[in-house]
Amino acid sequence: MAKSPARGGSVAVRPAEELRVVGRPIARHDARDKVQAATLYAADWQMPGMLHGVVLRSVYPSARIRRLDTARAAALPGVAAVLTARDVPHNTLWTDVPGQTSQVGALRARIQVLADRMVRYQGEPVALVAAETLEAAHAALEAIEVEYEPAAGVFDPEEALRPGAPRVHEEGNLLARWHVRCGDADAALERADAVVEHTYRCQFIDHAYLEPECGVAWVDADGVVTIRVATQVIEHFRDVAEVLGLPHNRVRVIGTYVGGGFGGKEDVTVEVFLGLLASRTRRPVRMIWSRQESLLARPKRHPFLLHYRTGASRDGTLVAQKVELLADSGAYAYLSALVLMYATVTAAGPYRIPNATIDARVVYTNNPPTSAMRGFGGMQMVLGYESQMDGLARRLELDPVAIRVRNALRKGDRLPVGQELETHVGVAEAAQRAWAALGPRRAPSAPARRAGRGLACNIQPYGRIVWLHDWASAWVGFEMDGTLVVRSGVPDVGGGQASSLCQIAAEVLGVAVERVAVHIGDSALTPLAGTTTATRQLYMSGNAVLQAAAGLRAQVLPVAAQMLETPLDRVTLRDGGAAGASGRRLEWAAVLKECARLGVSRSYLGVYHAPAGDPVDLDRGGGRIFPDYTFGAHAVEVEVDTETGAVAVVRHVACHDVGRAINPQSVEGQIQGGAVMGLGYGLMEEVVLDRGVNLSTNLASYLIPTSLDVPDVEPLLLESHEGKGPFGARGIGEPPIGPPAAAIANAVEDAIGVRITELPITPERVARALGLLGAPRTGP
Amino acid sequence: MTELTIAFTLNGERREVRVAAHETLLALLRDGLGAIEVKDGCGEGVCGTCTVLLDGEPVSSCLLLAVRAAGRQVTTVRGLAPVGSLSPLQEAFVAHGAAQCGFCTPGMLLTAHAFLQQHPRPTRDDIRRAISGNLCRCTGYAKIIDAIEAASAGAAPPSPSSAGPARRG
Amino acid sequence: MPAAPFDYHAPATVAEALATLNALGDDAKVLAGGQSLVPMLTLRLVRPAAVVDIHGLDELRGVRRDGDTLEIGALVRHRALELGEGPLGSCPLLQEAAGLIGNVRVRAMGTIGGSLAHADPAAEWPAVVRALDGVLVARGPGGERAIPAAEFFTGLLSTSLRPGELLAAVRLPLPAGRAGYAVEEFTRRAGDFAVVAAMAAVELDGGGRASRVRVAVAGAGPAPVRLAAVEKALAGVEPSEQAFRQAVADHKLEIEPDGDVHASADYRRHLTRVLTVRALVRAAARAAKGARA
Repeated sequence: MAKSPARGGSVAVRPAEELRVVGRPIARHDARDKVQAATLYAADWQMPGMLHGVVLRSVYPSARIRRLDTARAAALPGVAAVLTARDVPHNTLWTDVPGQTSQVGALRARIQVLADRMVRYQGEPVALVAAETLEAAHAALEAIEVEYEPAAGVFDPEEALRPGAPRVHEEGNLLARWHVRCGDADAALERADAVVEHTYRCQFIDHAYLEPECGVAWVDADGVVTIRVATQVIEHFRDVAEVLGLPHNRVRVIGTYVGGGFGGKEDVTVEVFLGLLASRTRRPVRMIWSRQESLLARPKRHPFLLHYRTGASRDGTLVAQKVELLADSGAYAYLSALVLMYATVTAAGPYRIPNATIDARVVYTNNPPTSAMRGFGGMQMVLGYESQMDGLARRLELDPVAIRVRNALRKGDRLPVGQELETHVGVAEAAQRAWAALGPRRAPSAPARRAGRGLACNIQPYGRIVWLHDWASAWVGFEMDGTLVVRSGVPDVGGGQASSLCQIAAEVLGVAVERVAVHIGDSALTPLAGTTTATRQLYMSGNAVLQAAAGLRAQVLPVAAQMLETPLDRVTLRDGGAAGASGRRLEWAAVLKECARLGVSRSYLGVYHAPAGDPVDLDRGGGRIFPDYTFGAHAVEVEVDTETGAVAVVRHVACHDVGRAINPQSVEGQIQGGAVMGLGYGLMEEVVLDRGVNLSTNLASYLIPTSLDVPDVEPLLLESHEGKGPFGARGIGEPPIGPPAAAIANAVEDAIGVRITELPITPERVARALGLLGAPRTGP
Repeated sequence: MTELTIAFTLNGERREVRVAAHETLLALLRDGLGAIEVKDGCGEGVCGTCTVLLDGEPVSSCLLLAVRAAGRQVTTVRGLAPVGSLSPLQEAFVAHGAAQCGFCTPGMLLTAHAFLQQHPRPTRDDIRRAISGNLCRCTGYAKIIDAIEAASAGAAPPSPSSAGPARRG
Repeated sequence: MPAAPFDYHAPATVAEALATLNALGDDAKVLAGGQSLVPMLTLRLVRPAAVVDIHGLDELRGVRRDGDTLEIGALVRHRALELGEGPLGSCPLLQEAAGLIGNVRVRAMGTIGGSLAHADPAAEWPAVVRALDGVLVARGPGGERAIPAAEFFTGLLSTSLRPGELLAAVRLPLPAGRAGYAVEEFTRRAGDFAVVAAMAAVELDGGGRASRVRVAVAGAGPAPVRLAAVEKALAGVEPSEQAFRQAVADHKLEIEPDGDVHASADYRRHLTRVLTVRALVRAAARAAKGARA
């Protein structure tokens, strides 16, 4: 098989002392807009003649559709269209590792746009309505006649694997499996001085972004179906085109500033429905999903059953890790195979393990589909490997920090999957720093309370799997007056994706950040940058902008040098102009005028190609999977109320090696926000399902943390300068969500001597584990 | 169905509108009056993104029938400062990184504003409690509390340039 | 989603409100603070033909202390109770309970009458009123009725209000001697509905013994429950944490908790014991400090 040409790598990094803008906690441009509510989110857009679109959803988790009659609904006043599966030109949506153009085998999955003969989960879309008013639309929904014939369903992954289980899809319930093998874990476990074995369980959760899914679509004057939508992936224009049977260049997606994504706006949400309704009616259509609808039917995080056997020698050196994973894909595949791969590659943890066996499977059930959510399989594993580390520490009477430091990966080590770690690995340092930052132990605040501390380290990839040949483009150009324009397809989901690009461009070209305008997220007008997912945008688009700015600099610098009569390497760019060796200065406007006269381009299109690779066999010592990883450690201090079981987190230190913080304030914000999301996962969030029926369909019952439920997370930034991103940055969007739940579980055991192996760590679970509720029983 | 004409003040301006009795204030503001600065996050009064001030008190506009605004003063985030300028509280949010995706921000600002009017010198814990009815999924709350704390202390925003680059999107 | 359309009535007096309700019959809902009714309307869980908005009935906003009775109009907001100004301050249990209700926005609009008439088993006011042996004042076509709290809350979201009746006020008897109150509420998060809440009122005699102990529990059954057996056991007893623990451990609790997504029946039962003890301890401490009604 031909090797892919090596390309990319990091762009030249400047010494820290020379950086003017990068590394400073500057205020983001979008923050100014947001405090004035000047930002137009997707639901804020209105157009004359706009219709309102709504979705009819299945009430059963598993049923045949015996009859579907829309005639009465279509005849109601104000109803412009009622669509079912037969009205969809191509009723298949492919999940092809979003945004990519290459196919990667088992990672390709499909789902129907609208259900035709079967519904496989409660909330599955069955019909669409567009009407003059929201009331008319809801009246039409109620007038659609559907007859369901409930069918057998399966709601538990272990049951789904048993022979004779109801089949969710024709091809059987096993969707994907991955194996990783290195050394001989079984033999090593036999010989180990200590073996700790446990089964862990983690739950379905919801993204619960504050902005529900929404968008507006219209057919523009040139017949281009245009969809303005809250999305993490503008490349879904291709999916809409495929479904509508249109050429790709006749569909345009405009990505708005998103009110929270976290992976929930990574798959298609309203785009295809809007495209269908707008095309059919030839009028603008807006669709906004209610919170209850979103909680009911949007893909969730994969729950996992994790079975770990970990072996170590007496001095705490890990000798073997044997892991079995079972995940629930719900009714459709979406990104499950990919999530499973992330889990498999990270399941052993950020430690040197000479012998590892990891077997992972994901199965279909009639539960809500599961797909991308911040951490993407990698974060669920932390509960497993970090609980195990504490288990070993206890068994061997070793300090929890010491055992981790002893085994922590270092630069040059290999992961069980065979990948060599090429950049600095900060696990050991993060563990020590986070733990030390907790300071001396404090007495509990009340007699019935016990205090405890817990540590958890993690490994999370950033950048996409190298087999996907990831790339991102960006355009940087000067206006004649010396102001700068950046154009990038990057969707901004609130993490400062757009503003970081401004910072980078401003740095390279010596302009003030206020003099940079950025246009993002338009599939027709901005160079494509790929998805805002996988903690890849700072790495990919950051490098693309770096490349474009560097390319632009290389173009215009000779002109400046000539005008300044100074050698090329003595020209400096700062304060909105160019300066020569003699101290002579020129404003950009003057240089650019000369560029125009000479025919020198004032813009540059950068295309950054991530290091590419070919698919490898994971279980044959694979090799390189991800471009790089971000490492970190969180230390928490908890108080457990020994009468009610309630766990309060009183201190939370979160330490990550971020490579270089392009904007330290943004990086801190990501760490604090991700950590709190992790606390919610650890303590209170759960989508409760009863044989496929979702019981957590309002915000009053799906609990996400309020300000009173969490402490101020204290971010500690390590900067190794060895990340693959611009200026040595590493990705930070996902990593902070991994450690908190495991750290809490470890802290609870420290406090009350009881190991909770199932999430969320609710007060009732703790009370039960303490024996306060009599005989143990299963259930809520 | 009942329709009524009501008059109320929106950000200091008198408005007279015809509303259906079953319409919420949120729907009237967003769809009838173009006040899209008020957000719709849950429809249950839980998330706080639909917060407006009713005679100075924060309320959930998704739980208020529009007719109840009659004769009252309604304030949205656009009422916190003259167009194009920012109040010290808003400046503090910008300077301290208190807005990430920004969707909770308008409701958060109004809640904080009303709170600081009543409690000009709060402790950090007071602030934490004051915003406990406004959900945020992005920031973990720390920088929001930092910003409100700074605003209450009357501190000038620490970060240099706050103009930011212009952007269209 | 938009609520289903309804006819809207905004009477100016109680008499007008009653006449309107009478004329509309069954398919009308009363709107007070809206914090419970409006989401039911916009989620289309209810679709009444008419809504009678009683917001304009200033007669129902009064607060009056008549000797040893505190009368609170149905439209008094949680926020006012939380602030406890004027006569409302004479019963500190009200302030503590009000502060636990929902969030600041719910407290700005929601009313005590609305909460009592809605009778959510996890709500604070029904349990407070039960704890204090309050009397619910209803006004209807037949005139005024005074309904003891023990008879008012009949089951899950049910009260003994008759069709066409409005809850006009609640009357709370105030203890004469040294009294202390406490609320111990267990929630999954701050501001959530209680999983279980215990409202305790402890009165001390001249010798420092408990002359009367009352405990009402929310969230452990379809309606608030008084722990009669525990109360009886503690009458005349010297208050101490140990005594409270003993009484709670030794006596039957008259609760019938159900399990749901937030907590199982077992856990609610357990919480009831824990919270009752904690509430009694704090209430007794406050009574001892001379907190006076």
